[in-house]
Amino acid sequence: MHVLIINGSPRIKAHSNTDKILEKFTKGMTSKAATFKQYEISDRKQWDDIRKAFDESSEILIAIPLYVECIPGLLIEFLETLTPKKGDARISFILQGGFAEGIQLRCGEEYLKILSENLGCTYGGTLVKGDNFSIRFFEGEQRDKITSRYEEMGCEYAVNGNFHSEKCRKFTGPEILSAPVRLFVGLLQKTLAKKMFARIAEGWGCTKPLDYRPYQ
Amino acid sequence: MVLIVNTTFDRSITDELKKQMDSRNIDAKIIETDSLRISPCIGCNFCWLKTPGECSVKDDYEIILKNLPHADQMWVISDTALGFLDHKGKNIYDRIIPIGTMYLKFVGNQMRHVPRYDKRTDVGIIYTGNPDVEYLKKWNTRAALNFEAGSLGVFSTDEIKEAVSCMC
Repeated sequence: MHVLIINGSPRIKAHSNTDKILEKFTKGMTSKAATFKQYEISDRKQWDDIRKAFDESSEILIAIPLYVECIPGLLIEFLETLTPKKGDARISFILQGGFAEGIQLRCGEEYLKILSENLGCTYGGTLVKGDNFSIRFFEGEQRDKITSRYEEMGCEYAVNGNFHSEKCRKFTGPEILSAPVRLFVGLLQKTLAKKMFARIAEGWGCTKPLDYRPYQ
Repeated sequence: MVLIVNTTFDRSITDELKKQMDSRNIDAKIIETDSLRISPCIGCNFCWLKTPGECSVKDDYEIILKNLPHADQMWVISDTALGFLDHKGKNIYDRIIPIGTMYLKFVGNQMRHVPRYDKRTDVGIIYTGNPDVEYLKKWNTRAALNFEAGSLGVFSTDEIKEAVSCMC
């Protein structure tokens, strides 16, 4: 199976969490003899090539970070320029986001079915997973801890050609966090997480409190 | 104050809105984006972690960010594509994120960003074309939750009277 992969993140490749996920996912794919060509939507210079590849491909995978409950505006801008296929291709999606709960991604997932139809493709399903916000803040083993779970899903996709399996469905994790976990995470957000965010902000050159109100 | 953002090139929509709003004495501010430069969100997270509340993309979106903390409602007028808002309409929503902070909390059983400002701005959509209306309604409700706000509904340009009846 040869797959056209489109990284639908507007963030440049170097800082793209979606790209780091794809690194592991494609490692799994290639271990099962699938091949792929990956493009980045963040690089407008690639748009002509992606359009051509879309026209010529029968197996398409778009990896997407959730932006306000749906797909990013930049990706929509690109997709608007495509000529819909005639049912001769299958399109699948990886949808990822920052919040940990699966429920946070369901509204976006629902749109991807509508999108597949509008692009004239058969829907190959969506691999849904959150809790990915911190990928860009880590390197090496720490980052691998978060992203390596996608390798197995790459194998699964290469074998099945879609994300309809039970394994893929379970990959999402809990739809909502249990009450004790919410209590713990809520407490963490009021204490340690605030300190961690402040440290990251300082490292990025931030000179204002994170709840600063510039337009009050 | 009601903030109206028209992302289409069709000013007859806002002309009709003005007429209807004037007859009901609605305090409104209309932004026509056809003469503005509004880029997509690039997901840099600077608005949360580097320049809190300010967008790193220096374009004309700032006028919306300046008005949002003072608006009771925002209505986005948008063309549609692929069953959904077109990219210009979606960009208006994507670029709202500086009104949230990096801090997180649970609202009910789901995590949310802590809002930056005290004011909550409810959101509504007026669309052209033929989107998947049921999905768009569901999406707008869900999108509003991100700002701890409510959805004002989703209306076609043939339903401007109905949309104005939801304005205050």
